[in-house]
Parts: sequence; C-alpha cells; structure tokens
Amino acid sequence: MTLQLHNLSKHYGDTPVFSKVSLRVAAGEFVAIVGESGVGKSTLLNCMAGLDHWDAGTVQLEGVDIGALDEDGRAMLRRAKVGFVFQAFHVLPHLDVLQNVSLPLLLLGQAPQQRAQAMLEAVGLGALGARLPQQLSGGQLQRVAIARALVHQPRLLLADEPTGNLDPNTAALVMRALVQQCRSHGAALVLVTHSEAATSGADRVLHLRADGMHAG
Amino acid sequence: MARASSPLWPLLKSFSRQELLQHPWRNLAALVSVMLGVALAFSVHLINASALDEFSQALRAVGGQADLELRSSTVNAELDESWLGRLRQQPEVALAAPVLELSSYALLAQAEDGKSRRLPLRLLGVDPLQIARLAPDLMPLPDSTEARLELFAPDRVFLNAAASLALGSGKVQLQQGLQLRTVSVAGSVRAAGGALAVMDIAAAQDFFNRMGQLSRIDIRLQPGADREAFVQRLQASADWNSSLRLAKPGDTAERLGNLSRAYRVNLTVLALIALFTGGFLVFSVLALSVSRRAQQFALLGVLGLTGAQRLRLVLLEAAALGLLGSVLGLALGTGLAAMALRLLGGDLGGGYFSGEAPALQWSGAAAMVFGSMGLATALVGAWWPARQAQALPPAQTLKGLGVVQPHRHAAWMGPALLLAGAMLALLPPLWDMPLGAYLGVALLLLGGIACLPWLVGRVLDRVAPLLAQRLLPLLAVERARRVRESAAVAVSGVVASLSLAVALTVMVSSFRHSVTSWLDTVLPAALYVRSGVGSAAAQAYFDPAFVQAASTLPGVQRLSAQRNLLLNLDPAKPPVALVVRNLEGHLEGSAASPLPLVGAALPVPAGKMGLYVSEAMVDLYGARVGQDFAPLQQAFEGGAGKPVEFFVAGIWRDYARQFGTIAMDRADYARLSRDERVNDLAFWLTPEASTEGVEQSLRELADRQSPGAGQLLEFSSATQLRATTLRIFDRSFAVTYWLQAVAVGIGLFGIAASFSAQVLARRKEFGLLAHLGLTRKQILRVVATEGAAWTGLGAIAGLALGLAVAVVLVKVVNPQSFHWSMELSLPWARLLGLALSVVAAGTLTAWLSGQAAAGRDAVLAVKEDW
Repeated sequence: MTLQLHNLSKHYGDTPVFSKVSLRVAAGEFVAIVGESGVGKSTLLNCMAGLDHWDAGTVQLEGVDIGALDEDGRAMLRRAKVGFVFQAFHVLPHLDVLQNVSLPLLLLGQAPQQRAQAMLEAVGLGALGARLPQQLSGGQLQRVAIARALVHQPRLLLADEPTGNLDPNTAALVMRALVQQCRSHGAALVLVTHSEAATSGADRVLHLRADGMHAG
Repeated sequence: MARASSPLWPLLKSFSRQELLQHPWRNLAALVSVMLGVALAFSVHLINASALDEFSQALRAVGGQADLELRSSTVNAELDESWLGRLRQQPEVALAAPVLELSSYALLAQAEDGKSRRLPLRLLGVDPLQIARLAPDLMPLPDSTEARLELFAPDRVFLNAAASLALGSGKVQLQQGLQLRTVSVAGSVRAAGGALAVMDIAAAQDFFNRMGQLSRIDIRLQPGADREAFVQRLQASADWNSSLRLAKPGDTAERLGNLSRAYRVNLTVLALIALFTGGFLVFSVLALSVSRRAQQFALLGVLGLTGAQRLRLVLLEAAALGLLGSVLGLALGTGLAAMALRLLGGDLGGGYFSGEAPALQWSGAAAMVFGSMGLATALVGAWWPARQAQALPPAQTLKGLGVVQPHRHAAWMGPALLLAGAMLALLPPLWDMPLGAYLGVALLLLGGIACLPWLVGRVLDRVAPLLAQRLLPLLAVERARRVRESAAVAVSGVVASLSLAVALTVMVSSFRHSVTSWLDTVLPAALYVRSGVGSAAAQAYFDPAFVQAASTLPGVQRLSAQRNLLLNLDPAKPPVALVVRNLEGHLEGSAASPLPLVGAALPVPAGKMGLYVSEAMVDLYGARVGQDFAPLQQAFEGGAGKPVEFFVAGIWRDYARQFGTIAMDRADYARLSRDERVNDLAFWLTPEASTEGVEQSLRELADRQSPGAGQLLEFSSATQLRATTLRIFDRSFAVTYWLQAVAVGIGLFGIAASFSAQVLARRKEFGLLAHLGLTRKQILRVVATEGAAWTGLGAIAGLALGLAVAVVLVKVVNPQSFHWSMELSLPWARLLGLALSVVAAGTLTAWLSGQAAAGRDAVLAVKEDW
C-alpha cells in the first residue's frame, strides 16, 4: 500500500478541522477528494506529505510512519517519495523551465539533464526548456509543474486544485497529462479539487467532511 | 464637472502610513541614515564656523578698525619707524598708529612634576594715546590701584582674559633669547582670543631691543579720501620699496579663512559620506518597498491613480522620511557640535583653531542648507523607485505577470559616468579646492554602482554553469543572476559604503606610510633641542656663543642648527616658513639627504644662491626646480651688496607645513641677514653618551649663560618626536575610522532591509522548496549563500571602486588641498579583512532574515494566491 491514513484528526485550537479520517491508496491508484471550502482538504494533503502536524491518528507512506520521523526525516522521505502539483503552479521564476524540472533530481543528487528533458518531452514541452517561467502560459506552467512532480518517479503524487487557474479546455489537457504520467510511472495520485470534471478519471471519489472521509 | 482635489494627501495618510506601520524598522533605517548624515555634516560645519567666527573676532579686536595697514615683508618683518612720520604728513591720513608685534613665551608657575611650562604669548607694543581710536579692545585699562602714567612705564604689561587666567596678576617672566626678564601686570585689555599682552610701544622697543623698529602702522584715512588712489600714490613715491605691503587689515581674517578652508571643506566632505551612503539606503528601501507593493500600486492605477500621481506619491513618502530625518539630524548635529565645542574646543584635529573654546554659532541659513541636503538625498534616492511605480502596467501587474524589476538603465550610463568621473578628477583645483576631484569621486561611485548589474552578470554567468549539478548553490546563484537589477539595488549601499571605507583606509595608510618615511629623513639625530616655534621663534632663540659651546660638550659628536622664520611673501597668502640649516654639499647626489627630496637636486649655478622649496611652493608661488625664485628677493632687501638671485635647486616634501617652506643654507642666510641666531639644535651623540647626560649638560650651559634659562629648553629624542607625531596623526584621523564605521553600518542596514524585504516576499518560494523536500537548514543555507554571493559581489565592486577613489584622494585631492604628495600604499590585509567582514556581516544578515521566512508559515504560504 502506498499511503495509509488511520483515524487522522486535526484541530486548530478548539475548532476541529477534520476527524477520524482513514484512507488507503494503492500504487497506481487515482483517488479524488472533494469537499466544501474550509473543510481541510489542503491541510489533509499537507499531513499526507508530513508538512503539517495532526493531533491523532497515523500516516504511513510506503510503510514508513511519518509521525515517527523528525522534520529532516520527513523532508528526506518527501524528497524521494512524493511529488506535488499546486493550483498556482509554483515554479521558481529565476530558474528556466529545464532547471525547474530538474530540481527534485538535484535534491536527490542525481544527474538531471536527460531525465528532465525526457519528462518535459513527455508533457509536450520538450522545446521550451530554456525559457523562463514568465514566458509561458498558465497551461504550460502547470505542465512544467507536473513534469517536476514526476521527474524523480515518486510513489505518491499530491495535487491540490491543479486545474483551478485554468480554462476548461486547458484543464482537461492538464488532467489528461497528469493522470497519464502517473499511470505510466505507477505513482499513486491523490487529487484535491472542487472540479467535478477533474474527478472524472478517478478510480475513487471521496468526500471530506468534518466527521471524516466518505465514499462518493 | 468639478475638478477633484488631489488624492495624494489622503493616500499618504492611509496607504503610505500603513506601509510605514507595517515595516517600521526598514523605514526607520532609511530615516536614521538621513539623520546621521545631516547630523555629522551639520555638526562639523557648526564647529568650524564657530571656531572661525571666534578667531575672526579676536583678529578684529587686535587689528582694530584701520582703513589700511603698512607692513614690511623682509625676513625680520621690521618696518622703519621713519615711515610713521612720513605717513602722518600725508593729507589723506587722519591717524597713523605704530604697532610692534612680537611673540614669545611667558613662564608659568611650576607644575606638579616640578618642570616649568611655557605659555606662548603674543605681545603688542601700542601707543596708548592713539590706540583707543583705532583698536579700542587693545586700550590698556590700568587696575584701579595703578596711576595712569603706568601706561607708559617700561616694565608694565596689560593682559587679556586668556593671559590673565594663565599668568595671574603680579610679576610675569618673559623669554628673550635664552634670558628671562620680569615685567609687572598693571592692568587688562578687553581683546578676546588667545593669550595676549599689551605694552607701551616705546617700552616694548626698549624691552625687546627693537629701537626704531615697528611691525606695522595702522592708518585711518580722512573721511572721503580715495583709498586706492592713496595706495597708488604712496607706492609710486621715490622712497617706496618692494618689501613694503600696504593692505586692508581685513585680509588677515580672510587669510585665516583661506588657511583653513581646504581642511574645513575636506572635513565637511568626509562628513557628507554618511549622507551619501544614506541616499543609497533610501534608494534600496524604497525600491524594494515599491517592488513589494507593485500590485497595490497597480490596483490604485486601475482605480484611477495616474502614473505621475504614483510617482509623486513615492516621492512624497521619501520627502516625509527625508524631512523628518533632516530635522532630527539638525537637532542631533547641534547637540553634537555643542558637546564637541565644550569638550574639544574648536579644533577638530587640523590645529588651525587650537586654544580656542568658542561659543556655538548656530545659523538658520546653514541649517536650511544642510536640511535641504538631507531632503534632496532622500528625493534623489527615491527617484528611480518612483519612476518604477509610475511605469508599471496596472493590468499585467495585478495578474502577477508584470514582475516589477528595478529600473534598468541604459548600458552606456555606468561606463559613461566612470569616464566622466575620471576626467573630472584630472581637473586642476577650483578656488584652491579639489572640487573637480570631489565631483569625480561621486561620479565614479555612481558609475561603479550603475555597472553592478553588468558585473553581476559577467561573474555569475561564468559561475552558474559550474554549479549546475549542485542544487543549493545553484538556487542562490541563479536568483542573483536572473534578477541582477534587484541584486544591484540590494548591494548598492554596501558598495558605496565599502568603497568609501576602502578609499579612506588606503588614503590614511598611504599618508601614514609616507609620513613615517618622511620622519626617517627629517629626524636623523638622536636628540633635539628647541627654543621656540612659529612666530615665537623670533624672540626665543639660541645665540651663536651657546651653539658653539653646545657643540663642544662631552658626549656630543656632531651638531646641526636650524633657524625657523615666517615670511610674508604675498599679502593674500599665509606666511611661508623659512628654514635655515646646514645644506652646503649635502644635497647634490647625496645618499643621506638632510631633506626628503622629491626628485634629484640640481647643482646651483655660480653667482646664485640655492633654495630647496617644499611642494606647496610649487603650487602656491609657481616655484620651479632649475629656475630662479624672485619673490624671496624682497625678504632680503636692504642687505649688503647687490640683490641676490635665488635658484630653486630642489623640491622636497614637507608634511609639517602646508603653506610653503623654503630651505636655505645657514651660511647663505647669515651672509644676507647677519642673523646667526638659531631655534632648533639636533645632536648626534658619541656611542658612550646618554641623552639624559647631554640634556643635563645643556641645561647647565644655558643656566651659566643666563640663570634660570635651563628650564626654557625643550628636549625631545627622535623616538619621542616620531611617536608624538604619529600619535597626533592617528588622533587627527580617528574621525575617519568613525565615519567609515557609520558608512559601513548604514550600508549593512541597507542589505538587512533588502534581504528581510525580499525574503519575506519569497515565503511562497521557500514553501515550495519545503514541499520538494528541502529541510529548513537547507533553505537557510540557500538564503545565506545568496547573502554571501550578493555581498561578495558587492565587496569585489566596493574594493575595486574604493581603490579607484583612493587613487583620486591620494594623487589629486591631497596635493590640491594640502599641497603635498604621498606614495600610494595598499594595506592589503586590512582591505581584505574589511571586505571579508562585510561579506560575513551580509551573510549573517541574510541568514537572520531567512529565519523569519523559512518557518512553517512558508508551507502555508504556498496555498495563498500569488
């Protein structure tokens, strides 16, 4: 099992964000999580990656209990096993496209050039490696983000509203690229979204509510 | 439609005020930099102006209210008394009053260490019946117990407040040669300034053996008399000679102003360094503030605020900072000046105003000038950021697409400014000041900073490929490389301050190195004895019999004597020093020259008399080596035989006197003047002799010649003189170290402000790096490496620019200001230490700034909209 959440609960002070969330995501599986604004979807995603703390429950990634790791240990695990795609693309403006895609490989101490270029070609941007982010469109930027998220072949890809800033046609293209790349790499994909269209290819669609996760 | 009132004031009170409240420390840094710059410059101005005013008042009191004064420019400055009668016969002359000016020493009561101290005392012989009409402050005022006839008594003096405070009432011992003569204090005079004693002129002539001699005649003309015509007529008369000088007495005060002007201007320019650096800090703070608020300005633009209004709003923000900083700076500067005047008197190290403790002369006009400079600095610093706010495209910026980069100027501007700076530095002095060089230095700094983006690009374009496989350095370097304009803005303050610190360090080091070498040449003997310095040397001297006897004392291997005199070669210029010593045969081709020659000495043509002039004589009097020097002829007019032709045989370096020195051989001088008195004696001792033993023998010799004279001798060893000179040197330049510290501190403030602003604005970027798996330590390392890369580049630029500015200071500003040259000496260890300290401080500053932004908040920031 790639990811296992067991009875995960989180509060901000006295206010509960979510409680008793349990989830199992298998390798290569695509799980979409939907829910109202403020229900804690992004926070849950951060907990899955060990970027946020929770009050109760456990998170296991590839059999490793994230809660038992210190900050550096979580960063190392994230570096090797997790990829991220965000709504707002988040590419570093002062690195060119190829350098942005190479970042995870550099972090792992691997030679980046060929794999990053191959990944760019896989998302249809093979000719744009030398461009700076401000020279690309929104759809292109999100494809750069997808390439970066998968270039180091993570076991889990976490996507937070990846089509939120895109028009419907571009959104469909991006989702197709995202799912296709995850499937081809055998990575599990957890998608948080408001968009029903984005969930269309999911193996499972789950609803996050204050009292836990519910099947759609 | 009614015209809307300007929205700027309401925006300043709301929009801009919020910025101030949200980032108080950053804005405070800009305000403090303006305040410090204004305070330093204004306090230096106030101290100098107060001292100069006090000195001028004292001069006016002593000089009186004459229309003209007649003086002699001969070597002994003696004016024949017969001129008094001739002047009084002139129909234009209403009043002619004789004055004998002398300087000597008065013996002070024994100090606690048992040694006697001497007080330099100015003595004026005046006609008590006439002086009240010309110089009321010199009118002797007898004590109530004294009869009025005491005014004319031969051994009575009247002291001003400074002399009275030091010497008290009763008996005073005055030095004449190596003799002490006693006079009685009979009353006072009102004249302010340094210690002064007034005597009846006939009594003074008798007392100092100057019968028939005057120093000057003060002339009051008849009402309506044409002064110029009178001067011309007198100068055309048959008995007039070229050694006579008829001038307005006001010239003396003006001469003091000229005398100290280069020094005062240099000190003020030095003080303005802090303000100059402060301008870069204002630039840095506002450039980043505008960058960070780009979307807010864009929103205002969408709501209808025009580009020109956005420009004015940023300028108004800068004006508010500049105005407040200037007002606080004026208050602080006034306080600093008042404190300095109380603690240090009016002298800031140049020695021009020593002995004075003037009252603070606050001037509203000066405050306006220095306050305006603070305001102008803030506005100039804000101009480019304001243009940036004006030019931003509102729609694109709102969408986050129009990333606001600091203003990218034309590529030619930096090199053009550097070239213009270099050209200006080559200009000759204007009004005896290196104004072209100062402007050149400013343009060199601006040009160097304008070239920074180019430098960042050149260096990092080469470094970046080497780091392609190493993530952390790559992240740090790529950012600086891609946003080179921002990097240039951030380090501009550091570059400006470091280059000025480097320039001052090199200048002071070069000067100290040259002074040390100079001391090696001018202090060859083991022991030095001095009778008197400056104008007092005329009355405090050793006679030939004493010199002869001293040369035969046990332990004395060899003796060299020197006569020191002051010559008025040009009434518009300060006096020139005449140094008379044994030079014959010592200079031409000699390895151990008694003078620190610049270049080789020439042989003196037959029939001419050789002179060796200091570098100042070249600048001020046009003396040229290998040519005759006519102005000195007037100083020896009236001597025996035909007029002498003086030949400039060599140029030498004199760090002791700024306004010109002429060295001539003793035998030549004695032949021309029949004066064989001397003031300084240098002794080479036999190997077995001790300096203490020779000192004791010399005191006993002086006491045998005149009882009590032994205590009038001042002894110094070469080591002591050297140590004292270098101590005074270090004290004089201590202020430059403080200014360097202030400038570098302001520069680091700038980089701290830049980094904290940028790092906070990059929280999302750090959040992304955390998502990708960078640990917090690694993120901090990226930020610290950026700090090191940016300040490292700043240090390279600062070092290079500083060295260029140092060359201008050493080779242009110093020779043009003080008329002496020096060798360039580069203290590499200190310079590298300075540069590395700045890099270390910049790195630490960046790391500290990163602490705030690389926390867990950064993770959440990723979710925020861009």
